[in-house]
Amino acid sequence: MANVDIVIEICGMAGEGVISGGEILARCMSDQGFDIMSFDSYPAEIRGFGKCVAHTRIGSKPILSPGKYSDILISLNDKHAIEQLPALRETGVVIYDSMPRAYLEEDESIAGWIEPGMTSYGVPLLQLSHKAAGDARGRNMVALGALAALFHINPDAMTATLKKRYAKKNQIVIDNNVNSFLEGFNWTRENIVKTDRLSFGGVRAKAADKAIMSGNQAVVRAALDSNIHLYAGYPITPATSIMEYLARQLPLSGGVIVQTEDEISAIGHVIGAGFAGKRAMTATSGPGLCLMSEFINYAAMAECPAVIVNSQRGGPSTGLPTKTEQSDLNIALFGASGDSPRIVLAPRSVAECHSFTCMAFHLAEKYQTPVILLLDFFLSRSLKNIDHPKLPDKKWLASNLAPSAADLKDYKRYKITNSGVSPRALPGTPGGMHVATGLEHNEKGKPVYDARTHTAMTAKRYRKLDHAAREIPRPLWTGDKKDIAVGVLTWGSTAGAAMEAVDRARAAGVRAAAMSPACLAPLHTADIEAFTAACRSVLVPEGNFTGQFANLIDGAVTRQFHRLSEIPCAPIPAEDIFDKIMDIAKIAKGRKVKA
Amino acid sequence: MPKNDHYVIIGNGPAGNAAADTLRASDKLARISIISDEMFTFYYRHRLPEFLTGAMDADALTVRPYTVYKDNNVRMRLGQCVERIDPADKTLYLKHMEKVHYTKLLIATGGRAFTPPHLAPFRDSLCFMTRYTDALQLKPRIHDAQSILILGGDLISLNVQQQLLKAKKTVYFALNPDSFWPLKLTPGMAARIQKSLEKKGVASCVAGDIQDIARRKNGKLEVTLDSKCAFTVDLVGCFMGLTPNIEFILGSGIDTERGVLVDDRLRTNFPDVYACGDCAQIYNPALKDYWVSVGWHNAELQGRTAALNILGDNKVIKPLKQGVLEVEGLKVNTSWWKKF
Repeated sequence: MANVDIVIEICGMAGEGVISGGEILARCMSDQGFDIMSFDSYPAEIRGFGKCVAHTRIGSKPILSPGKYSDILISLNDKHAIEQLPALRETGVVIYDSMPRAYLEEDESIAGWIEPGMTSYGVPLLQLSHKAAGDARGRNMVALGALAALFHINPDAMTATLKKRYAKKNQIVIDNNVNSFLEGFNWTRENIVKTDRLSFGGVRAKAADKAIMSGNQAVVRAALDSNIHLYAGYPITPATSIMEYLARQLPLSGGVIVQTEDEISAIGHVIGAGFAGKRAMTATSGPGLCLMSEFINYAAMAECPAVIVNSQRGGPSTGLPTKTEQSDLNIALFGASGDSPRIVLAPRSVAECHSFTCMAFHLAEKYQTPVILLLDFFLSRSLKNIDHPKLPDKKWLASNLAPSAADLKDYKRYKITNSGVSPRALPGTPGGMHVATGLEHNEKGKPVYDARTHTAMTAKRYRKLDHAAREIPRPLWTGDKKDIAVGVLTWGSTAGAAMEAVDRARAAGVRAAAMSPACLAPLHTADIEAFTAACRSVLVPEGNFTGQFANLIDGAVTRQFHRLSEIPCAPIPAEDIFDKIMDIAKIAKGRKVKA
Repeated sequence: MPKNDHYVIIGNGPAGNAAADTLRASDKLARISIISDEMFTFYYRHRLPEFLTGAMDADALTVRPYTVYKDNNVRMRLGQCVERIDPADKTLYLKHMEKVHYTKLLIATGGRAFTPPHLAPFRDSLCFMTRYTDALQLKPRIHDAQSILILGGDLISLNVQQQLLKAKKTVYFALNPDSFWPLKLTPGMAARIQKSLEKKGVASCVAGDIQDIARRKNGKLEVTLDSKCAFTVDLVGCFMGLTPNIEFILGSGIDTERGVLVDDRLRTNFPDVYACGDCAQIYNPALKDYWVSVGWHNAELQGRTAALNILGDNKVIKPLKQGVLEVEGLKVNTSWWKKF
């Protein structure tokens, strides 16, 4: 069976149907049994003239990262698509509109920039769209039709996906989209002679019943699966869609959604709900997390459960709202006054966005502490086909340690225990009345300021993390297990690219391995030490400038690292990590020879 | 800040490339663009027959790599077709709907395969080869074919038959004196070429033109000549010479006859529009007629001369004295032809 691994980019202007085109393509190919990963980039402005790119990688084998280079570039707007040409492979294919409204000015046509080795196919997108749908809005579908005809994508499958995608729209919308697709498909089949070698034909992908969702959608699904009762949030890219999805779905299960006046209020709502025994969550991005930091401290001190999703974007300040980055690690871990324990989980994939969110609700409630989920723009927005998510374990849905009758006789809300977890009485529990305060307190919650109590209580609060660490999955170790020339240690969404790079390096004859922790606080230090001990060299790639994760493990593991700290406004490509692995391996080999 | 000049050259052959090199050598700041409807970099066209039969690979055909143009800051617009010229507005209209503005324009588009009108009905049964794309498409068919009839008899056809014989193919030749370009053969010359070809291994070389081509069920072609000779072959190659590649100029106001008409400084009737190489007919005041010089070296010379005049010089073109080709024992001068 032939393998296929093709990256397709649709590029155009905001409002031209770029994102919907990419989504339809991804869903269709997923339905056809291919593994897909789709990621969009779009301007920070709501609508207008900015550049949009729908980037979809389609393969017959598991896709771990979006891929640095594209094989096919569909231009819905040449001005923007020309900027994407450097990302097109030297043997790439360009599909462009051969009959725009008027002659384009010099250098504004992408067809003018095609280099030897590339292939270009001119399709009258606008003209065919007018013919099929009566206006220009079907250009994206015409382009998908051309794509299907040129690269042997089943047109019936694509029309089925289209009909499903627009099922809730008027029939005219469905008809216009399907007709535009078919117009592009038929025109291309009749008028274009294919000269490139890319094709999905002949690849017998195994059709599978998969769920296709973004990281944010997975978070929402997990929140609902975990019996969330309240969501409070203030809109911010790239977390906003969590609130949007929940706004539609949460009320159906009797839950409450509150759009607050700011992030401070949002986290306040969540902690209040947690105090009242209701599962609650907020979602934000870097600037919002900054605002929430004092209240997160309060949750840590008052031992209230709170789930905080932080989808990282370029920073600092409002920064780069629509660009991905992994630069909120420091504030997630250390954005606090005093010694402020919190659990920080870092999902590495869309599937883990679901499972880790379920785990976050469980941990928050069981350990009565804030739990931060660190996503990023890429993970939040990327579409991935995954096995249907499993419902959380029933035990995870009732994690609170309720006080026993004996506890309630002389109720100590902050009773010092071996695990650090104290029986938590919900408001209204007879005998369970207590004060939850941000001031240091004794076991009953009464403010006290002596060193002995403060030390005991701080130790109690941190002890909870030690216990939590035992039930959080240990770091994921892939690749070789011993005699490792280069080990890649990373976190969050960079893990997929790291694993792909390691696979390639091993195929190229380098002994390599990748490790990524699921949890950054508490950190599974022993596992990281074991991994680094097995590696001659360790590379730490991450999407921030200062190497925040490398700095973190630098303090935990006595070891020198090669750093790959980049802020390319996109996920760190597997290709870059692979190149770095090979460079390190070569240097190490050279040293060995000299020795 | 003054805008830099934009020199646009249509054509990526020896004339166009020599012009680009000359322009860049003298003007480091100007924008220089080469537009070609072929998607390939500058290659040795006269060596296509060797590529066709596998005696030479594609890399060896390349005169210079693409990177050279990048290094020299020459913009290559490959695979792009000029649809029309507006010399008054100094604008080219490309087929993919883009306008390109020029300060000075050089037309160096060379020639393309010529098909006499009476062969048009048989076009689908004939093979042509004047460009790399043709050779690329023809190559697998040549590989599979055992017998080939060459129709016509221009310079390329003589080279093709040599390579086919080397590749152990059975070659037939139907020599059409009227088609022989650049020269019209006299009966004596035709007889000498005929004799020479047969001596070299061509199975049969006869004079004549096609009367009919029929495809048999087994895929072979049955070709009947007006001389009543008949051949059953796998392929029929048509090599009737070249015709200047100037369709896009027609209607622009630039004077053309069979090629683009230029004066002895390679200037057309429009200021800032020049032409050279196989597509140009050059006026000679002494002869009071237009003349043509063909071949690689003449093209390069004309490209350099045109470029110097574009840069403000006033050079008169003189063809190479030593421009001589030897064709099957006949010496053919490549310069000073007065007919296409």
